[in-house]
Amino acid sequence: MFERLEMFLINKYTKHLIFHIDVNSAYLSWEAASRLQQGDSLDLRTIPSAVGGDPETRHGIILAKSIPAKKFKIQTGETLFSARTKCPDLVIVSPNYPLYRQCSTALKELVQNYSPLIQQYSVDEFFLDFTGMNNLFGNPVDTALKIKEHVKNELGFTVNIGISTNKLLAKMGSELQKPDRVHTLFPEEISKKMWPLPIDELFGVGRATSQKLRDRGIKTIGDLAAQTPAYLERFLKSYGTLIWNYANGRDISPVRNNKTIPVKGMGNSTTLSFDVTNQETAYLILLSLTETVTTRLRDAGFCAGLISVSLKTNGFVFCSHQKKLYSPTDCTSAIHEIACTLFDQLWQGEPLRHLGIRLSELCLNNFYQPSLFEEKLEKQRLLDKTIDTIRSKYGSKAVFRSSFLHSGLSPIMGGVIESEEYPMMSSLL
Amino acid sequence: MKIYMKPIELIAWFTKEGIPHPIKYKIQTEDNSQKVVKILRLLARTEEKIAGNRMYIFKCEGNINGILKIFELKYELNTCKWYLYKI
Repeated sequence: MFERLEMFLINKYTKHLIFHIDVNSAYLSWEAASRLQQGDSLDLRTIPSAVGGDPETRHGIILAKSIPAKKFKIQTGETLFSARTKCPDLVIVSPNYPLYRQCSTALKELVQNYSPLIQQYSVDEFFLDFTGMNNLFGNPVDTALKIKEHVKNELGFTVNIGISTNKLLAKMGSELQKPDRVHTLFPEEISKKMWPLPIDELFGVGRATSQKLRDRGIKTIGDLAAQTPAYLERFLKSYGTLIWNYANGRDISPVRNNKTIPVKGMGNSTTLSFDVTNQETAYLILLSLTETVTTRLRDAGFCAGLISVSLKTNGFVFCSHQKKLYSPTDCTSAIHEIACTLFDQLWQGEPLRHLGIRLSELCLNNFYQPSLFEEKLEKQRLLDKTIDTIRSKYGSKAVFRSSFLHSGLSPIMGGVIESEEYPMMSSLL
Repeated sequence: MKIYMKPIELIAWFTKEGIPHPIKYKIQTEDNSQKVVKILRLLARTEEKIAGNRMYIFKCEGNINGILKIFELKYELNTCKWYLYKI
């Protein structure tokens, strides 16, 4: 009761205004726009089309689809094979991550004209803090329409914009109806626009939570909002209170530029196009992943105290195993050795399709206390540092471990674009 | 005008501000011969940034096979490539 009153007063008197800008079918729209600019007469958005996998090897999954493709019930995440059975004439194009980064950067630059406070939430989503900007730009809905048209005319693709007093509602608002629309979802409109929606449409509610809620008769966001936090906490713990607040449109997270979230862990993983059946190959893949993640670790100035290895069998069974270190390290060889030990303890011989490494319990590397049991430490660190310098100057494949020669495996695995930062989505608002 | 978007060889001069002005270009025709077209007049220059890719569009006038024609050239800034866009 108190919390509700507080939020009401904060929102009433500070009059926060937040926009959420979301590109419609990003990967597909961007590919379509790029092709049109290059003189292609076909607009991919007007035919059943999708972005996915590798059409040459005929493997992969759907990453994005056009609106005509939706009519064939094609879903993001399904295999190209199953998509083709639903729609034999489906045009499939491979993903082009450098293009997506280019479009994302251009969109960011455009949006920055409308507010100094922008948060890039993912490659195709931005939060914009419009609080107090009405003096400069006027009515928020008119400005949102202006932004939408500006993006369409200058960059050639459409966006949805949601307007509200906090990020959660702005994000829910932008998804109400697509494409090319501006929606408001202010607290007063929640009961009409948000509560009738099914529970899995709420931000933060995924497959597992949705099932738990449905089992208890909670089917719509309105049903969830009507519960008490105490009841939800019984089977969802503190997460229950969080989604209860979300269902009631309450969220106080600020629009922040991305530098301010502390990094808690780093990982890299890869899904392979073949089954891994021997230890040697698995070790090599782990080495490749270790190279990628330790480069990032050293670049960020951290050492890791907890190493975790995860795997997925060809039957999609997932498991992981972790080990805490006596003293944190950032050394590629040391981490690889431990990763291999963890793998041996975890693996039971089944064919594998996915391997991953995650480093957490990070601490800064400026204070480093070697234990009495570590040898050749200084030499290793110098070696790692030298390799990092060579790779940053001449490319990540300029120098690599000889065990990768003739192995058929890439010496640096994991990540989307190997050499540059790609804004990945996060589960935190 | 019809869209061709054919890559061409081109000579241009640049102002102190870095704006290119096309002078003449060489294009490969259907019968595999090279044709040189001189740009007689620059009618307009616009810029587009579709999908974040900056391109200048030049509307020009030139003599092709004795006939005065209007065509559009495109210059892709990040690759420095020229194209015959529409003619």
